[in-house]
Amino acid sequence: MLTKDLVAASSKPLLLSILAGGESYGYEIIQKVRELSGGQIEWSDGMLYPVLHRLERDGLIESEWKEADTGRERKYYFISSDGRKALKTERRQWLAVHNTLSKLWKIKPVSI
Amino acid sequence: MAGRSQHVEQIMENQTRFDLNAAVENWRNELAAQPNLASDDRRELETHLRDAIAGFQQRGLNDEESFWLARKRVGQPQPLGEEFEKANPAKVWRERVFWMVTAILAAFLLTATSTSLAVVFVSCFPSVEKITNETTLNILFWILQIIGILRLILNGGMNRQFSMLASLLQNRLRLGITAICIVLTVEIFCAAILFWAYVAHDGPYSPMGPFWFIGNHVSNSLIRDLSLVSILIWLAPTQNRKTPKRA
Repeated sequence: MLTKDLVAASSKPLLLSILAGGESYGYEIIQKVRELSGGQIEWSDGMLYPVLHRLERDGLIESEWKEADTGRERKYYFISSDGRKALKTERRQWLAVHNTLSKLWKIKPVSI
Repeated sequence: MAGRSQHVEQIMENQTRFDLNAAVENWRNELAAQPNLASDDRRELETHLRDAIAGFQQRGLNDEESFWLARKRVGQPQPLGEEFEKANPAKVWRERVFWMVTAILAAFLLTATSTSLAVVFVSCFPSVEKITNETTLNILFWILQIIGILRLILNGGMNRQFSMLASLLQNRLRLGITAICIVLTVEIFCAAILFWAYVAHDGPYSPMGPFWFIGNHVSNSLIRDLSLVSILIWLAPTQNRKTPKRA
């Protein structure tokens, strides 16, 4: 399980990366993170929304209420062009940390 | 012994048959009691709760288990409210002022319609002026309209209208056009009635009559209402101002 600090720090690149792959809504995002991390990253469901709203306030993502196929309305989020730029920066920084740690731990580094 | 415990279980189940809709309704009320959650936030959390309940149900849990697990996942209303407020401190106030201005505008429009109704009533039945006067009738019609609206809200008949309103709120352009249309319709309708009453009672029709009438009676209220509408448009959520750029 990740520490609270690390969960908070990694939420931005995770959310931007998921939304870069297509629009999504809160419940789906949480399911996806849980699945991809093999349960290692466990977000408290309700707390995801303030994070999304913050990203929206910063102009990195946008949102819209839309009716799903089931007839139920959901608030969908999608990434903005500023968000894509921010994602590139995040990616560079996280890979820099990853590569430094990889060298120290003698794991094969990942190309940026 | 086994038969007896089964019997007890059956009684307990019958006594506390779980009503999922009522449980969600209760939860929604608890959430509504949080002053720092905007209605849009509550709506979003409710869709999440419903998705989570459906997810647990699909895994074979019953209604009650699904509800309690989903509720736990979403979190306690109070810390949620605090986090939401931190993410967007002005949102709740913006929404409150928005509804206050809406209420003021609605009160003005109701006054306009009740005034015209009173004028029509007195014109059609002049004998009522022996019992009462136009001002009293005006107040009476005003109260009747409020009662009508309250009855609609209390009967839950407004649910659909409210969700329509909520979707209007997401788009400034749609909100602005709708509000301007409502204001113009009510004001023009009332002005036409007042003008008709004026021509019928206070004198011969003159070609300048309508202009004089609009200048004196309509322009003030129209300017007032349209400025309220512009405040509403300004207060409306800004999140969809830009055209979405999709991947």
